[in-house]
Amino acid sequence: MSRQVLEDTLTADSIAADSALAASGDATAFERLYRTHVARVHTLVRRMLDADEADDVTQDVFIRAWQKLSTFRGESAFGTWLHRLAVNVVLARRKRVGIERGRFINEEDPLDGVTSKRVTPELSMDFEEALASLPEGARQVFVLHDVEGYRHEEIARMLGVVPGTSKSQLHHARMALRRHLEQ
Amino acid sequence: MNDQWTNRLSEYIDGELDSTERAALEAHLATCGQCYATLAELRQVVTRAKALPDTPPTTDLWPDIRARLTPGRRPEVSRDTTNVRRRFSFSVPQLLAASIALVLLSGGSVWLALQQRPTDTPVATPQPTTITPAATWTRSTDAAIADLQAVLVQNEKRLDTATVRIVRKNLAVIDRAIAEARIALRNDPGNAYLNLHLATTMRRKVELLRRVNDMAAARS
Repeated sequence: MSRQVLEDTLTADSIAADSALAASGDATAFERLYRTHVARVHTLVRRMLDADEADDVTQDVFIRAWQKLSTFRGESAFGTWLHRLAVNVVLARRKRVGIERGRFINEEDPLDGVTSKRVTPELSMDFEEALASLPEGARQVFVLHDVEGYRHEEIARMLGVVPGTSKSQLHHARMALRRHLEQ
Repeated sequence: MNDQWTNRLSEYIDGELDSTERAALEAHLATCGQCYATLAELRQVVTRAKALPDTPPTTDLWPDIRARLTPGRRPEVSRDTTNVRRRFSFSVPQLLAASIALVLLSGGSVWLALQQRPTDTPVATPQPTTITPAATWTRSTDAAIADLQAVLVQNEKRLDTATVRIVRKNLAVIDRAIAEARIALRNDPGNAYLNLHLATTMRRKVELLRRVNDMAAARS
């Protein structure tokens, strides 16, 4: 067993074991899980919702995870389970704040919402800013599909739209964001 | 720009066009420089999206989260017959396989740690956050183990004899690994691999105990 493989194995085992330990009530183990996964969760939340909601909703995700740990079966990686839970919390939040399905579907042109400022060498930041300025529906579809890897059918179920709407929103989002790749 | 085809470019990238549509679009791309350029840009967007880095929050959210965890409350451990939902599918052969894997992992990591002792090279650790000082770690884990073992005493009567025998054999293997790690740590308390090995092995024990208790509850 190579050293890297051993380290990877120990890390994976450690996370799996921490999830079991946290499920038995160990807050110290849960803190380790938080430290390992908070960047991924916070980034997902920030991209899906408004940035000023990200801290609160990230906290909600981890509180929810603590409450639901006893239902974690260990059949998937803890990170995968937590990520899916985070998506569900975000979507519940979206629903709660009254983002109606009609508004999602009727966004005429997501490109209108995107600033056309000149791109600087800080492409990553500009890209993030452009992403944040997309209309909510297009932004969420883009994040779920292109960043997080969900399929249109899954996205459509999660957002309560038809797959065709998801595809259309994704294309509009990509068309808007391509402006921010120009040199 | 040809809107008819431009609006299909994302589906083309994602492989969602049927063969007829794909052939027609490719024929169009061969003659339309603008669509061809747009396609390249869209592909860059997709590539960039996959490479976006994760960034942590600017403030540490843990203190607020910790304050909101129900004080003194432990997420459910299967203690009685009311919890009949089976959360793990855990067979006797799987228990045995887990034991074998644990022995291999234990032997490998201890061997590696001991092999590295004569050198002055600092031992790399998988992640700083996964390593807790052994004294702290063993206190919290010992408490969890004691709790779960007490539950197991009550639950054993719900398991068949063969399962109990294999569970006990596995626990004995884990206990031996823990004891060996403790001895090794007494000689080399700062060894990162040994600390992590001990923590991982103890957590394995917690996981095994939890699963056995769940299995017993599901059979009740």
